[in-house]
Amino acid sequence: MTAAREALQLPILFLTVLLLGAIHVADRVALRPPSLFGLVMGVVLLGLLVRSGALAPERLMHATRSRLANLNGLTVIVSCVMAAAQAFTLVTPDFGLPRVLVSLFLLVLLLNTLAASPDRSRVLRSLLVILGATFTLKFVVLAALSGPADGRLARALQILFEGVTLGAVSQEAMHPSTGYLAFVTLVLFMVGLALLPGRQITRSIGGRSLAKIGAPRALPDPDLSEQR
Amino acid sequence: MSSNDANTSGVYRSGRQSSLMREPLTRLLGLAATAGYGVLIAWLFAHQPQSLTEVTGGLSATVGAYRIDQQAFDDGLRLFREDQFEAAVSAFERADAAKRDARTQFYIAYAYYRRGWSRFYEDDAWFTKGLETVNRAIALAPNGRIVVDDPELKMHTADELKAELEAGLRTDLADFNPFRVFGARK
Repeated sequence: MTAAREALQLPILFLTVLLLGAIHVADRVALRPPSLFGLVMGVVLLGLLVRSGALAPERLMHATRSRLANLNGLTVIVSCVMAAAQAFTLVTPDFGLPRVLVSLFLLVLLLNTLAASPDRSRVLRSLLVILGATFTLKFVVLAALSGPADGRLARALQILFEGVTLGAVSQEAMHPSTGYLAFVTLVLFMVGLALLPGRQITRSIGGRSLAKIGAPRALPDPDLSEQR
Repeated sequence: MSSNDANTSGVYRSGRQSSLMREPLTRLLGLAATAGYGVLIAWLFAHQPQSLTEVTGGLSATVGAYRIDQQAFDDGLRLFREDQFEAAVSAFERADAAKRDARTQFYIAYAYYRRGWSRFYEDDAWFTKGLETVNRAIALAPNGRIVVDDPELKMHTADELKAELEAGLRTDLADFNPFRVFGARK
């Protein structure tokens, strides 16, 4: 990984995720910092990334690196956790039953992925599905149920739905731009995760060593010996 | 090794040296940029600006470079004295677009108070806006103290104005006193 990517690109990208993910447009613009639950999820995700090899902390902070380089590595890790916290806060509904259910769903899914010990590409794919599904739930399904209805029939159906669910599902109406911003934020977050320095796997073939970064754990070729 | 190879090797070495020299600079710049960006985000979270004007105004106020539009303020003051309170609020808001000047915010709150006051009742909507604005003015003022030496005003401090607005929003026995119709607007 180049110094520019480590010192500039990744922290700026993750901080942009933190900022864009905070913008909530309703009757007024509000900047919402990550919730406590989001921070917990961010730390869990960091553990998952390290365990899967999607993030190699020793390539960001190590005794052999200079103090300045270690500081750069620390900013990458901290900004990554903050961006993850913001991404999870963003896809979690704001109130009521959906908030509780989605929070539980996210926690269980992440812990399950952590227990399964997948490799880098599987973790990223799994995360894409988790964030994509919760994004759709919040910004498409719940927004449609909670937003202002176009016609009388739609309004009547909304009132009926609110009555059946005792108002526990309805969310605060938001401006459509919030959804687009959230989408861009999540895409940037996934790009940032894909750019993180992964675990470096060194293999030796007949005395010559080959370095491969972010490779899957299991290799079909039995001649290759893997050193981690 | 041919001279061509030696030249190529020399170019490679000097390029590598230059890259090695540039790396600490890149790292230092990156650290500074990240710290600056992080501070800006923390500031945005703390101040919750509503527009780009508020962002730029707030940042310039942080370094002491914020100035209100004096012409718009004078217009606002003239309209305020002519009892055209809504127009006055509009002019004051134009004068202090970033909402960073305590004195202008005090006048806006005062305009809301006078707009909401009547002999028979106080308009809660205007008084609520007034209370929000006077609280903002107090938060902006050094040590929360605002004193305006304007002979046209009957309340010269933000504390008096705040107490009056809070009293107007409260429902108590005094609201049913028939003699309140003889009360004077401050």
